[in-house]
Amino acid sequence: MKNSKMHLSTETMNLGFVRKVEALSGSSVRRCFQCGKCSAGCPMRTFMEHPPNRIVRLLQLGQYERVLAGRSIWYCASCETCSTRCPNKVDLAAIMDALRKLSWDADGPSKESLVQLANRLFIENIKTYGRQYEMRLAAAFNLRSGKLLKDFMLGPKLLTKGKLKMFHQKNRNISEIERIFSRIEEMRKKGEAP
Amino acid sequence: MSRIGVFVCHCGENISRTVDVERVAAEIGKLPGVALATDYKYMCSDPGQGLLKKAIAEHRLDGLVVAACSPRMHEKTFRNAAKAAGLNPFLCEMANIREHCSWVHEDREEATAKAIDIVRLMVERVKKDKALQPITVPITKRALVIGGGIAGIQAALDIADCGHQVLLVEREPSIGGHMAQLSETFPTLDCSQCIMTPKMVDVANHPNITLHTWSEIENVDGYIGNFQVTIRKKARSVDMDKCTGCGVCMAKCPQKKIKSTFDRGLGTRPAIYVPFPQAVPNTPVIDRENCTYFKSGKCGVCAKVCGPGAVDYDQQDELITEPVGAIVVATGFELYTINEKPKGSPIKGYGEFGHGTIPDVIDGMTFERLASASGPTGGKILRPSDGREPKQVVFVQCVGSRAREKGISYCSKVCCMYTAKHTMLYKHKVHDGQAYVFFMDARTPGKSYDEFWRRAVEEEEAVYIRGMVSRLYQKGDKIVVMGSDISVGVQVEIEADLVVLATAVQPRQGADALAQKLGISYDTYNFYSEAHAKLKPVECATAGIYLAGACQGPKDIPDTVSQASAAAAKVMTLFSRDQLEREPIVARVNERNCVACFYCKKVCPYGAVEEKEIRDRQGNLVRVVAYVNPGVCGGCGTCQATCPSKSVELEGYTDEQVMAMIEAL
Repeated sequence: MKNSKMHLSTETMNLGFVRKVEALSGSSVRRCFQCGKCSAGCPMRTFMEHPPNRIVRLLQLGQYERVLAGRSIWYCASCETCSTRCPNKVDLAAIMDALRKLSWDADGPSKESLVQLANRLFIENIKTYGRQYEMRLAAAFNLRSGKLLKDFMLGPKLLTKGKLKMFHQKNRNISEIERIFSRIEEMRKKGEAP
Repeated sequence: MSRIGVFVCHCGENISRTVDVERVAAEIGKLPGVALATDYKYMCSDPGQGLLKKAIAEHRLDGLVVAACSPRMHEKTFRNAAKAAGLNPFLCEMANIREHCSWVHEDREEATAKAIDIVRLMVERVKKDKALQPITVPITKRALVIGGGIAGIQAALDIADCGHQVLLVEREPSIGGHMAQLSETFPTLDCSQCIMTPKMVDVANHPNITLHTWSEIENVDGYIGNFQVTIRKKARSVDMDKCTGCGVCMAKCPQKKIKSTFDRGLGTRPAIYVPFPQAVPNTPVIDRENCTYFKSGKCGVCAKVCGPGAVDYDQQDELITEPVGAIVVATGFELYTINEKPKGSPIKGYGEFGHGTIPDVIDGMTFERLASASGPTGGKILRPSDGREPKQVVFVQCVGSRAREKGISYCSKVCCMYTAKHTMLYKHKVHDGQAYVFFMDARTPGKSYDEFWRRAVEEEEAVYIRGMVSRLYQKGDKIVVMGSDISVGVQVEIEADLVVLATAVQPRQGADALAQKLGISYDTYNFYSEAHAKLKPVECATAGIYLAGACQGPKDIPDTVSQASAAAAKVMTLFSRDQLEREPIVARVNERNCVACFYCKKVCPYGAVEEKEIRDRQGNLVRVVAYVNPGVCGGCGTCQATCPSKSVELEGYTDEQVMAMIEAL
């Protein structure tokens, strides 16, 4: 996929997807003229198979499968160095956010990626407890990902320092949290929220 | 005994870095006849010139040697300084110890010794210099403009508006040039015809402009202020005085299928034609190669239908000779031919682009005709092959340009902008179409230019792909474009309906031949050379000849118009004087020795040698000798070298002076 030939036509260029990205991120994709400054300063560049500038370039050509197939968007640390320094006011950090969102919605190939899993469990925890319950997050993640012993040895250390609690501490205003979630759900149904 | 002053310049460090300037001055000071030898950091500066002026008065100097840079650089400066101090300027000479010595040597000892030699030679020469008076020649205040495109039109109008007579010579049947072919112009997208045709009409109606269309320059004689130009008025086969421009002849001509060069072969025209409806003059011309009457002697329809009887099959080429004082060369450009390789030319074509074999692969100018409201499709973008509206159009930039292997290493300057314009014109006419552009760089230096290009990308949604196209080939009714997006690093393939190649800008064919007639220089591509790339961008090295437009190098319309007006200003500067002062470095004939062999006449490249009759008081012819017309003489010295009786000498370079220089070595 990464190196295969691109056949460009109005059918193969999904410009609708690009417009969605632009709407979600509030940033123009077309404005980029490929100076490469985003990639030059990106701290995560070495981990990405598509550097940030190429992500924008692929978007300009409507090649969303190539963007979503890669792991670049998940390696982005949202440090916003790219957005801060871009000479053309392309908000790449926001575009990355939008891409992660769309990747999720599109049942993209990275839906089952570990980052996605972690994000999902994180949100589920918030929904259930009204705050984060790290012990459950770690346990659930290790079980679901199949990496049972991942970061296992960190546990005791964190426990002794009080950074990790054995039992959850429920938020007293859990009903407020529930209202937030249901409101977002409501807005989504009406199409007011992405 | 002479009293020569020698002034040795450091030129900052340019000379003093390798030449021991003080030692040069000291050594030269010892020579007989040298009254003063001194050095200074910058002789050309105001204090340096002051030093020179003061010394002339104080030391009663009768000759100067300035040991500094090339005479091309500052001879005029120091001669003016000498003149201001009351010394004849031709008694001041330059000894070039910079270009000829310090810049080309490293060893300080040897360079200093050479510098001393150079200065010593010049001292000997100056001792034998004579005070000369400048030659004045009259100026014919009439200009010739060669080429009736936008450059020639602008220059002609500016000069004519200033009150001087202008001859405008155009090779084609109508003025207008390439600009008349364009649809819209960047970066404002105003219609080319709408801004061009009023200017064409202005030319036709201007009382100071004489228009010679369908004419070419046959010969140019003379020099600045006094050129004699022979113009070949090609046989039009139509009497321009009688023709009313009604167009009946064109409508009735049975030959209708001749491909129109103006429409880049997309449309057709009759054998008797005007290139386009807005032509100036609106007088048709008979294309004798394709006319049935000229081919077989039968037909003659145009002559029969012509009311005023203007058609004249017997018309012959006419040669006219006109005196002019200045010449503006504005012969413009032509487009690189993608497949054809002209014989003997270093320029190569691109077989891989299939231009000429695939009908829907066209060049940029052809696209202009497709987009033009007055074009063969009435402004509709239609494929040449089947007349269908193309939905995917691929534009390829830098075809020919910036391709050393193909013989052109320069950037053609206008293609980035006109391709951006093409994508916009296409989008405006085909709303559901998609334009792709393969480019290496987008070069948009100009007012509102980059914004224009960005508009094509951001608002008109042209897809720009950085990378050159490898090959084009026909597949069914599509053209497969094989390219690469180097930003992504993958190959790209597009099945296009139409491919437009942005071809390089080249000088006109025959530009070199015209340059030889005019005596102006040109570069390896046949673009005409300006006298100085920065400080004399519109003047030729040949005095009295000026350049405007793309004949000097690829140029867009704003730059062309600016240069044309600049050339006009130079012509007007020349015409603001009644007489012209010339350097008196000319050949003189010793009439007593001349044996009238006229070898000098044969070798003179300027045609300055005349035969002069010497008569006694009764008017009897005594003998004939050679005479050099000082107004025409270019001071090259060829006659001096040729003369078997040593009767011709070039002022300032006499045999005596040259011998004295050799002996001083």
